[in-house]
Amino acid sequence: MPRQKYQDALEELRDDVLYMSEVVAERLRMGLDALEQKDDALAEEVIEGDGEVNRMYLDLEQDCIDLVALQQPVASDLRFIAASFKIITDLERIGDLATNLAGYATEADRDVFPEVDIQQIGEETLSMLEMAMDAYAEEDPDRCREVATRDDEIDAMCEAASEMVVRDLIKADPFGESDLDEEAYMSDVSRLLLTIRDLERVGDHGVNIAARALYMVEDDDELLY
Amino acid sequence: MSETTSKAQTQADAQTGQQSGGTTVEGETQEELREEWVQYEFDGQPAISTRDVNVHYGDDHALHDISIDIPKNSVTALIGPSGCGKSTFLRCLNRMNDRIKAADVSGEVEFNGKNIYDKGTNLVELRKRIGQVFQSPNPFPKSIRKNISYGPRKHGDIDVSLLSRLLGRDDSDEEDELVERCLRQAALWDEVKDRLDDNALGLSGGQQQRLCIARALATDPEVLLMDEPASALDPIATSRIEDLISDLAEDYTVVIVTHSMQQAARISDQTAVFLTGGYLVEYDDTDKIFENPESQRVEDYITGKFG
Repeated sequence: MPRQKYQDALEELRDDVLYMSEVVAERLRMGLDALEQKDDALAEEVIEGDGEVNRMYLDLEQDCIDLVALQQPVASDLRFIAASFKIITDLERIGDLATNLAGYATEADRDVFPEVDIQQIGEETLSMLEMAMDAYAEEDPDRCREVATRDDEIDAMCEAASEMVVRDLIKADPFGESDLDEEAYMSDVSRLLLTIRDLERVGDHGVNIAARALYMVEDDDELLY
Repeated sequence: MSETTSKAQTQADAQTGQQSGGTTVEGETQEELREEWVQYEFDGQPAISTRDVNVHYGDDHALHDISIDIPKNSVTALIGPSGCGKSTFLRCLNRMNDRIKAADVSGEVEFNGKNIYDKGTNLVELRKRIGQVFQSPNPFPKSIRKNISYGPRKHGDIDVSLLSRLLGRDDSDEEDELVERCLRQAALWDEVKDRLDDNALGLSGGQQQRLCIARALATDPEVLLMDEPASALDPIATSRIEDLISDLAEDYTVVIVTHSMQQAARISDQTAVFLTGGYLVEYDDTDKIFENPESQRVEDYITGKFG
C-alpha cells in the first residue's frame, strides 16, 4: 500500500489510544477496589499513576498534531485522527475521576449507606467504557448508539442512588445517635454523593467517546451535544 | 453521471464476470458509479453546464458522459490521477481539444445559453470569454505592457489603427488603464509598475505566471481555465497564485486542474474527482469530498491508498 509509513503511524495511534483506555480502565477499577477495601496503598498507587496518564495524553495529542501537520490527512483518516484527538481528552478526564475515587478511599471514615451499591454502578460504567472503546476499535456504529442507551441506564442508577441517600438522611435522622461524629458523618455522606456523581461522569465521557467514534465511522454527529 | 455510464459500467462488470461494488479487477477496486455522487446542487446559475461530454482519442475513450454544472464566481477543482481525463475535460470547456486532430468530442457544453460546440461558434470570441492559463508560464517575448495589451489590440478592443493615430486618437490612456487594472487584479502591479516596458521574460517564474493570468484577464473573460497553474512554481510563488485564484473568484469563474490535492482543498469551493478510465466519480462541495466522500474509490485516492 502506498504511504506505508503514514498507514503505520495511523495504526500506531489507534493502538496507543486503545492502550491508554486500558490503563485508564485499570485505574478506575483500582479506584473502585480501593474504595471498597479501604486500601490506602492501592489508592496511593492510583493517585501517583495519574501523572503517567497525563503524559500519555500529551504524547498522543502531539502524535495527532504531527499527523495533521505532516501528512495532511483527509476523509476517513482525518475523521479518525480528529476523533482520537477528542477521545484521549475524555480518557484523561476518566483518569482524573479514578484519582478522585482513590482520594475518597484515603479520606473515608466509615461506610455510610452500604445499601448504595457503588461497585455495581462502577461495574456498569467500566463495561460501558469498554463497549465505547470497542466501538472505536472496531468502527461499529451500532455499538456507539448502544453506549448512549447504556448511559441512560447508568444515569438512572446514579439518580436512584443519590435519591436514596438524601431520602434516608431525612427519614432516619442519624444525628439522633449519641456517639455520632456529625462532621465526619457529613464528610462521608458528601464523599458518597461525589462518588456517585463521578461515576455518572465517567458514563458521560463514555458517551462522548462513542459519539466521536460514530462521527469517525459515519460522519454522523447524532450523539454529539 | 448519466445512466449511460452506469449501464456501461454494469455491462463492463458483467463482461468481466464481476459484480459492481468492491470487487477487484487487475488490482483495482471496481465500484458502481452512482448518479447521485455527481449531481451537485447549488444556489444560483451555472457558468458552464456540460451534458454527456465524451471524448475519444482514436480508439481510446478518454472521457465518459461528463454532465456537470459549474457554479458562477467560484473555484471548481478537477482532481484525479494522471490520465484520468481531467485536463481533457478542461480543454473541452473552451474547445482547445479542437486543436488535437485525433480528439473527437461529443455532447454539449452550454455557456451563456448556447452550446459552444454548435456550428458557427466564433472560437476567438469563445476563448476571449473563457480564457486559459497553462502549466508553465508562457509570456510573449515582449514587454510586460505588450503582453497585456496584445489580446485587446488584436481583438480591436484598443483602437490602434494608423488612421486613429494620424487623427490623434491614440488610445494609449485606455491601454495604460487596462494594463494597470489587469496587473493589479493579478497582484503583480506593485512589483512591475516601474518596468512595464522591460521584457517579460526577465520576470521570475511566479511573476511570469501572474503576468499570464493578467494577460488572460485583459480580454475581459467570464471564465478562467487553469491547468496546473502552480506546479512549476516554488511554495511562495504558489501561495501567491493560490491567493490570487481565491480573489479572482469574486469576479470570475475559475476551473482549475491540479495534481495537488492539498491545493484543491485549500482554494476550491467544489471538487470534481475523475478516476482512471475517464470517469467522473464524485462532484461535491470541497469540504464534503475531503471530509467524507461517498465513493470508496475517491476515499482511497485522496487518502493515498492508491493512485
